[in-house]
Amino acid sequence: MFGKSHIPRFSSRREFLAAAGGGFGALAFAAMAHTQDKTSPRPDPANPLALQQSPFAPKADRVLFLFMEGGPSQVDLFDPKPELTKRHGQPLPASFGKVITPMGTGSNKLLASKRKFHKCGQSEIEMSDWLPFMSQCADDFAVVRSCQADGLNHVGSVCQMNTGSILAGRPSLGSWVTYGLGSPNQNLPGFVVLTDSGEVTGGPRNWGTGFMPATYQGTLFRSGAKPILDLDPPDGVSAERQRDKLKLIRELDDIHRQARPDDLQLSARLNSYELAFRMQAYAPEAVDLAQESEATKRAYGFDRKECADYAHRCLLARRLLERNVRFVQVYCGAGSQWDAHSDLEGNHTRLCARMDQPTAALLKDLKQRGLLERTLVVWGGEFGRTPMTEGTNGRDHDPYGFTMLFAGGGVKGGRVIGRTDEFGLRAVEDHAHVHDLHATILYALGLDHLGLTYFHNGRHERLTIDAGHVINKLFS
Amino acid sequence: MRMPLVMVLMVSVIAVATGGELPADWAFKPRTTPTPPAVRDATLIRNPIDRFILSKLETNRLSFAAPASRTMLIRRLYFDLIGLPPTPAQIDAFANNSSPKAVEQLVESLLKSPQFGERQATLWLDLARYAESDGFKADDTRTNAWRYRDYVIESFNRDKPYDRFVEEQIAGDELFPGDRDAAIATGFLRHWPDEYNAVNLEQRRQEILNDITDTNALAFLGLTAGCAKCHDHKFDPIPQVDYYRLQAFFAAYWPIDVPVGTDAEIAAAKRKHDDWLKQTAELRSKINDLEKPARESAQRKQRSRFDEEYAALLDIRFEQRSPIQKQIGAMIDKQVIASGKDVGKSMKGAAKDQWTAMMKQMEQYDRLKPPTLPSMAICTDVGPEAPKTHLLKRGNWRSPGDEVAPGFPTAVMGAKPQSVIKENSNTTGRRAALAKWLTQPDHPLTARVVVNRVWQSHFGKGIVGTSSDFGAQGDRPTHPELLDWLANEFVRSGWSLKWLHRTIVTSATYQQSSLISDSKESAQSIDSENRLLWRMNRRRLEGESLRDAMLSVSGQLNPKAGGPSIYPDLPDEIKKSAKNWPTSAKAEDRNRRSVYVAVRRNLRYPLLALFDAPDANETCARRFATTTAPQALMLLNDDLIVGIARQFADHVSSIAGKEPAAVVRTAFKMAVGREPNSEERTAMLQFLERRLQTSGETTDAVTDFCHAILNLNEFLFVD
Repeated sequence: MFGKSHIPRFSSRREFLAAAGGGFGALAFAAMAHTQDKTSPRPDPANPLALQQSPFAPKADRVLFLFMEGGPSQVDLFDPKPELTKRHGQPLPASFGKVITPMGTGSNKLLASKRKFHKCGQSEIEMSDWLPFMSQCADDFAVVRSCQADGLNHVGSVCQMNTGSILAGRPSLGSWVTYGLGSPNQNLPGFVVLTDSGEVTGGPRNWGTGFMPATYQGTLFRSGAKPILDLDPPDGVSAERQRDKLKLIRELDDIHRQARPDDLQLSARLNSYELAFRMQAYAPEAVDLAQESEATKRAYGFDRKECADYAHRCLLARRLLERNVRFVQVYCGAGSQWDAHSDLEGNHTRLCARMDQPTAALLKDLKQRGLLERTLVVWGGEFGRTPMTEGTNGRDHDPYGFTMLFAGGGVKGGRVIGRTDEFGLRAVEDHAHVHDLHATILYALGLDHLGLTYFHNGRHERLTIDAGHVINKLFS
Repeated sequence: MRMPLVMVLMVSVIAVATGGELPADWAFKPRTTPTPPAVRDATLIRNPIDRFILSKLETNRLSFAAPASRTMLIRRLYFDLIGLPPTPAQIDAFANNSSPKAVEQLVESLLKSPQFGERQATLWLDLARYAESDGFKADDTRTNAWRYRDYVIESFNRDKPYDRFVEEQIAGDELFPGDRDAAIATGFLRHWPDEYNAVNLEQRRQEILNDITDTNALAFLGLTAGCAKCHDHKFDPIPQVDYYRLQAFFAAYWPIDVPVGTDAEIAAAKRKHDDWLKQTAELRSKINDLEKPARESAQRKQRSRFDEEYAALLDIRFEQRSPIQKQIGAMIDKQVIASGKDVGKSMKGAAKDQWTAMMKQMEQYDRLKPPTLPSMAICTDVGPEAPKTHLLKRGNWRSPGDEVAPGFPTAVMGAKPQSVIKENSNTTGRRAALAKWLTQPDHPLTARVVVNRVWQSHFGKGIVGTSSDFGAQGDRPTHPELLDWLANEFVRSGWSLKWLHRTIVTSATYQQSSLISDSKESAQSIDSENRLLWRMNRRRLEGESLRDAMLSVSGQLNPKAGGPSIYPDLPDEIKKSAKNWPTSAKAEDRNRRSVYVAVRRNLRYPLLALFDAPDANETCARRFATTTAPQALMLLNDDLIVGIARQFADHVSSIAGKEPAAVVRTAFKMAVGREPNSEERTAMLQFLERRLQTSGETTDAVTDFCHAILNLNEFLFVD
């Protein structure tokens, strides 16, 4: 179904076993003997990425996380505030108390949004005129307006949205998911990260495994023909030369193993070479956008300079989801590009033009191919932006009440959940903390955030640390 | 269906391995004084360790595996003690040494090698969450952090008594004033990840204190105190209040950089600097006046980022600040005062012209200015008085509970306070009291914990499997009597780590083969996890040893020791976006040992990261040894490895010439430390012939061959 002809044929029993059970980067031999309690997953130490049964009936099989890094402004996109417009230029009422922001703009005057909001779709969800394409998908989106995070700065907040903590050192959401469920695709990583040219704030810790074995970490796909580091043989080394080298490695390893038949680590390394070789053959096909029609490319916005790059990544994401990659994260604006401390209009005009069309096209494409139903789509940044002005025309960070979108994967679209105050500063109803968002994402996949644990330093650690409630309203 | 199987395994493991029930708080109780037990087959005994191991094996109707061959043993000893492979000449010398003391002689020479400390430091630096950058977003470089790394290497090489080593790292400034090494040792306390531009300063301070507390508890006490941050420990007898009592020892933490040099050098530099200040006083005052508006505006802007409560600290002179105000104030000073530093450059118009002219004038005094002395990063106390410590409800710094005083964990029985806390003119004396408490000879945890770590470094797994969790949730020791015997003797040896390494590696237990002989098949059914040690465990090389071994066999390893870190080349794809990675210009620098490769929190050197080097955001007691496809891809395809293969091929050719049989024999022995058997030789020769036929290029064929050798399981694993 997915280009099987590209997969080299192996005839050995080992090959069969690997194909039957192994996943990308599988066969880790971590110190796992001590890791689980009753409900946490029990990965097979010989094949930690083998498929695991969800403890509960899953609504989704895959996750697509579109990460708007830098913090898009909720009051200019999804959370219209007439009162903010009315009180433009005035300070926040004293009843709001002290507001701490990183640039000390807490007591600055209110800044009205210059955007026009429209009621979109049958659900009449309000979206701003920066989003002409996403507006067409309004009925698919559940808009959560009451999101909250703990961090004030980018690095801590991006880290929290990805790992639950503003401090580095914990496994990322995608790692927890692959740890809990394994990977259905044997020839591609179970957790893929696609970034802009910029470096994601905080770097690889955002898809790393912290205290868990590296087996579950996200794999960074770079743009271009060589998405995975070291995927191709070095220049000038023919496939035949490479195969011959692999043959010698295997012959000698086989002899070495004769006296050590009980050692699974040694067989695991042998398998890892075969997996690597299969991936060399399989991954280029998975990322080959030449197989897509011109119409599809146009729909994603390949012909528009302002969004072509992100459009590529969105289309790539669809091809990966289609091939059952478990968790795909696509960054838009890596390196805090949404961070409009000044010239919000200029910044967001540019970034929305980049983001809007490909995002909507991806959603429609998934829907049309019947993938949306079983793919949970998450859209959002690490925090939002203040209704108060910074300088004359910017907005500061607002982790107190910002908007995230959900679609597919059992989510009932066309609804608004939660509410912020009259200016859009703080969530006042149905608070959805990052821990709640994480609990909800796990829930959609049939995982219980309380049960998915990993024993580390005396504690059964979990993604949601010591908090988290599922946002049931999303699904009912 | 998996459950029952797992349970059966667990039951059998417990029955075999621990041989008796230990209470959950076994590690908190005083050490026992076991004598090495009698064994049936005393001919197998090389030293008392073996009695403990063998007697338990015999109880289970097992015995030791055959002794490892000389070639197997020398490779094991080299990697375990110095982290490098032996050369063919070293192997031959050892194999041909007929002295009954051959092993002891080899062990002594390795313990004396300066590379011993380099290997052992790698493991300690993991525990110290050592890094040379801040982490968080900026990941600023810590230019003088390497002095701590060199301190650790030197300490191991000189066999500094472990009690002294602990005391120096916790309280070197208090216990050994004026001792430069002891001052650098306190860098241990300072390796926390840091966010210099944090706004929420009390939270930052609390995070730093948590980091110091957790690291110390795990590294020295083997306790996972972190849970008690938020609540009474569910399983361990560590109540929440104990966590904050422990934290109180560090409440006055004060990280500073001080010049390195003799008193005379420092005084001379100060004299010169004072003179420069005097000569330039008038001019600097003018510049100061000129910059004033711009500076004040820049600082006002920075100041406005902070809560007024914090910002107000800027108006209090340092001497007037309370201890906690000093700690918080230092964080805000760094951000606000610094913003006024370079304002001249951004001034405009006539003022700018004037400023430029004055700066030009300043240059004529440059020759008077002494060069900045190199510095060291140390941690002392903010003063003789410590800020108050409170129990924090649910670990939240916004919810302080009762005030707590420094105090030792109540559950640790048998350890008495060694000295009362006595402040001196500069510090609180708290850390000194903690250090002295930890290093009392009878402390139930300190010696057990380190002895177990060293055991783990040789056997892959500790006598207590969870080497930083000696609490109720951790593993019970497989050989509790041996652990206590080793700890007792270790303390008696003067806390000598070299004594400990020597004793372990000269035991028959350590010198067993890792192979299963036919007669041992039953051992596997009795104790499949080898908890009883009926053979040696095989282990995969750490990333550091793998890289060092590749450099070594390809003849490129530069053995230069110490000094600022090096930056090997990065893969092109990563180099593009890499920040703060100034690739070392000279190949010989890039080819130094891995312990000298810069440890950046946001960019761990890819080869090391891929082979499970920790990210240094928290203390790490035991690394994973994962096997992944990206590892295979890197070893097969990365330019770095291909380059090493080419060098390896050149090196082999320069020794063996072009004759395929000689090439095969030489390369194989250099890489895996033994002669190939006939089957292996045939496979390798056939490969070379095939390659020669198709490419006709000897160099390419040998390079491909050498590249394959670097990928072998036998190259990456130590038997």
